[in-house]
Amino acid sequence: MKYKISHTTKYSYTESVPVCHNQVHLCPRDGVQQKCEEHRLLIHPMPAVRGRRLDYFGNTIDFFSIQEAHHGLTVTATSRVNVMPRPKQKLKESPAWSELATRIKTVREPRFLDAYQHTFPSPNIPQVPALADYAKTSFPKGRPVLEGVMDLTSRIHADFTYDPKATTMYTPIEEAFRQRHGVCQDFAHIQICCLRSMGLAARYVSGYLRTVSPEGQPRLVGADASHAWISVFCGESGWIDFDPTNDVMPDTDHITVAWGRDYSDVCPIQGVFVGGGHHGMSVGVDVQPVA
Amino acid sequence: MTNKASVSQGDLADSVSARTVSAHGLFAGYEPRSNTYDEHFSQKGVARKHVELFGEEFARIRPAEFRERWRQAQRLVHENGITYSPFGDPHDQPRPWNLDAIPLLISSQEWRVVSAALEQRAVLLNRILADLYGPQELLRRGLLPPEILFSHPGFHRPLHGQRVPDDVFLHLYAADLARAPDGKWWILADRTEAPSGTGYALENRLVISRMLPDIFRKCHTERLAPYFIALQEKLHSLARQHRDNPRIVLLTNGPDHAHYFEDAYLARYLGYTLVEGGDLALRNNQVMLKTLGGLLPIDVILRRPNSGSCDPLELEGDSQVGAAGLLQAVRCGNVSFANALGSGLVESPIFMAFLPQLARILLGESLKIPGVATWWCGDPSVLKFVLERLDRVTIRPAFRQRGGGKRMSERLNSLPREELAARIKARPRDYVAQEQVSRSSCPAWMDRTMVPAHVTLRAFLVSSNDSYKVMQGGLARISPSTQPPPASSWEGEGSKDTWILSEGPVRPITLLQKPGHAIELRRGGVELPSRVADNLYWLGRNLERADAAARVLRALTLRLTSEIPWAAMVEIPVLLRVVAEQGQIEPGYVVDGIKEHLPSIERVLPNIVFDLSQPMSLRSTIERLCRSASIVRDRISVDSWHIIHRIDERFRPSATGHVDLSSLIELFDEVIIDLAAFGGMVMESMTRTHSWRFLDIGRRVERCMQTIGLVKSSFVDVGQVQGPILEALLEVADSRMTYRSRYLANLQMAAVLDLVLTDETNPRSLAHQLLQLVRHVEALPRDRSKPLYGTEQRLAMAALHAIRMADVHELARFDQFEEDDPLRNLMTELEVTLPRLSDAISHKYLMHVGPAQQLSTIRPE
Repeated sequence: MKYKISHTTKYSYTESVPVCHNQVHLCPRDGVQQKCEEHRLLIHPMPAVRGRRLDYFGNTIDFFSIQEAHHGLTVTATSRVNVMPRPKQKLKESPAWSELATRIKTVREPRFLDAYQHTFPSPNIPQVPALADYAKTSFPKGRPVLEGVMDLTSRIHADFTYDPKATTMYTPIEEAFRQRHGVCQDFAHIQICCLRSMGLAARYVSGYLRTVSPEGQPRLVGADASHAWISVFCGESGWIDFDPTNDVMPDTDHITVAWGRDYSDVCPIQGVFVGGGHHGMSVGVDVQPVA
Repeated sequence: MTNKASVSQGDLADSVSARTVSAHGLFAGYEPRSNTYDEHFSQKGVARKHVELFGEEFARIRPAEFRERWRQAQRLVHENGITYSPFGDPHDQPRPWNLDAIPLLISSQEWRVVSAALEQRAVLLNRILADLYGPQELLRRGLLPPEILFSHPGFHRPLHGQRVPDDVFLHLYAADLARAPDGKWWILADRTEAPSGTGYALENRLVISRMLPDIFRKCHTERLAPYFIALQEKLHSLARQHRDNPRIVLLTNGPDHAHYFEDAYLARYLGYTLVEGGDLALRNNQVMLKTLGGLLPIDVILRRPNSGSCDPLELEGDSQVGAAGLLQAVRCGNVSFANALGSGLVESPIFMAFLPQLARILLGESLKIPGVATWWCGDPSVLKFVLERLDRVTIRPAFRQRGGGKRMSERLNSLPREELAARIKARPRDYVAQEQVSRSSCPAWMDRTMVPAHVTLRAFLVSSNDSYKVMQGGLARISPSTQPPPASSWEGEGSKDTWILSEGPVRPITLLQKPGHAIELRRGGVELPSRVADNLYWLGRNLERADAAARVLRALTLRLTSEIPWAAMVEIPVLLRVVAEQGQIEPGYVVDGIKEHLPSIERVLPNIVFDLSQPMSLRSTIERLCRSASIVRDRISVDSWHIIHRIDERFRPSATGHVDLSSLIELFDEVIIDLAAFGGMVMESMTRTHSWRFLDIGRRVERCMQTIGLVKSSFVDVGQVQGPILEALLEVADSRMTYRSRYLANLQMAAVLDLVLTDETNPRSLAHQLLQLVRHVEALPRDRSKPLYGTEQRLAMAALHAIRMADVHELARFDQFEEDDPLRNLMTELEVTLPRLSDAISHKYLMHVGPAQQLSTIRPE
């Protein structure tokens, strides 16, 4: 499946901003299941400095600085991405979760070592005993890991209410868990916390979701937003994605941009500026399937 | 202490000789502790070999002379204002540095052995840093547990993969050492983030070498300067551009931080600009210093803040001590940090558990001096071992959080054993256990006797070529208690200078000698950071504000204590009004009908003067004065600083808290003279750079405002101008002598106004201040190609013009000071213009654009 994606973020300031420094995670990752065929980043006003590098997790970071006084900033990322169908996972045939957890802790091969760091608490995902208790139900002794993760995914989907008003970006996961309300970011953080409490390696995936429009109606441009889900390390099978917001295993409807330990590692746009007074922002995402 | 690998240098020094010397004089009663290694005495009355010469020389000093010298030395500590706690917190008075009179003596023979061990350790720690920020082979080969990195709160992913010159992350390293009863040294802790203490070591040396100059030389004491020269050379070599003349700055956490004294001291000693995060700007991936003359590129940053605080864009977002984009500038190779960002990783105690093994594998040798035995609880078998020995070990957090470490450790070890065990079992990987440490002792001069005090020693290293250079000295800390050593030098109870005694004569060496380089002559000072100019400006304003307040208070108090009945003195209400206008007393004291209900002024005045809860009380103004002076300490002369310090010391109520009016007059006299001395120092010893200019602008602006307030208060609501009022006006305006010499006792309004307002030759007149302001403003940096005058120039000239065009005879035709009165009009006009002038200068030269903000982001929904 091929997509044309455009993601526009606009900032406006009440007072002039003489200088700002920014870095963005907006370029979709290349991988076995996904190829980013084209990516452009348009920035207005024109940055004096810009560059690109890979971060610790292999995501592309574009950084730029604007050094002339400005009252607004617009960042538009357009990408063409080809998403291949993922191999079907036989959940029952995956390794037992506890054996996998032991191997993650002890095997020193690079991919296991890389996975191991995703078992530790991260800035937005501390250890939460209540979540560890919640997770245990899905992982009885000897259960195949993917079966357990799928079960947990479904439970979160069933137990939690999607509610953008209930939480904000700064709501701690304990609080979202207590309310059983939240959005995809909360669900992803909660599931990651659950999995880490079992000694499993889980990471946060940020990207886009193609929303399927109702029959006979044109797609609503800009209605789609950036999305987040999780990925769990399954030993030799690598990383397998789960989407607790939609209770699915992602396939060609999910376009991956970046991954990290949690949201803080892959924040789409970060910036620091001086002056400016108050500022407002708006975001528009458009994910268009193309032939 | 059980490790057999340790060297024993103490034994070596003792076996040679055990002459009974130096057991007379002040050391006569000294009794070393039993079961403790004493650094200076092998037993009572028997000095160790390397201490003999010192002991002999020291014995020549008569006790009374010693006590006098020590008194002088303490005065020096006091006057230099050596402190070690925050300037900013009003509840936490900076505590004076507690220095002991007797230096810790170590033979250079022994120090060479210690140095070799410390060099080895620094090299090893640097290798670990280079690996963890690079290939991470140590994790892959199983030489370090991955937890050491993955659960380390100080491991910032964006710092991984940075390339640093020659793979050196650790330029400055410090180690805390202690000596066991058997004479073997142990390493207690590593400091790799931004080791502090070198400035205190320098200050200690300054004081003690001045107190014992002959002994210092005769004992062939090694100098500290070579360490600082090596540091300068190292920092110079880190510059990747402008290699001939790189701009090196010392980045400080700011005046509210405990280490600010040392930062300011070192910056001045090393000759670097002291900067805060707000002084830095990033342009084209280059770090720039914001100065009056514009942005100037910075090549090397000697870093004091934690790594995580240095870049709010990529590291900790809420930090204001760094600057956004610094990390990218490092990646681009445009700036170097010493230490490199992230160097603090390896100072966590968890690393000590693995160093012996890593030394064998990475260096092929064992540690020359072992670290205190450390066990990481994250390993299940170790956890069991530790839980069985909880009574005999010290539990510490495995990962060091700079600042809070000691308290955390103390809290942990005071927990009931079961609770402590439960804590460890809940998160074993977050804890280490360490063997409890006993320390050596050394004579300390306390309460007029020599007593043994426990010693720990902080040693300092700087990278040099492929290895490290060790300071020939260090910061010794002492405490009389047998408790475990303090976690940092600021929490210890006292400190000592440390003398490394050479076998032969020591070549004198100073930082001033720069062999082989003809220095490039420079005059100027456009490099003045805008923030510093701002502080100097406020130093100037506070100086004049304190002076004006003291003068009017003195005039008032003199009259309150006079024999003449108050009612007969028409100037008292005028003076009260001035004091009220300055915000020192309640306005009610000048309002009929209210003042009768207030407690009488002569009773409350002493308290009002010292009332810190009133922001405009004289004592509050002096507090601000001292604070603004302390912030720019690296810009004012040592003598000037002593004056400020003296004002702070003297201008206080007596110990009993009771102050009567006559002693108040004495205090006002002193403070006025001290302020004048400071003003004289500014005029006579500050070069005419922008530093001086901003200080003087502050003084002139404030003096104008005070004079205007004085004149207004003198004539408003006054039915008829009387001699005593004019007399008081001249007195407060410090122009009485001039008046007398010109007009004798003939007091007339026009003549008084001329002297106070329009006479440009009187350095106290308004016209004189305005003339100076016009000249200062003209000299400020600006784009000379622009054809028009700047706002600040126009405002200064307008004010001067207004005063020059004034006709004092017309002004003196005093008419109730009502509307249309020319004097009132002139004062009002200037009262509006001057704050605008001050704002214009601030806006153009001093103001920051405000704190940096984070862009808000939208979460995925």
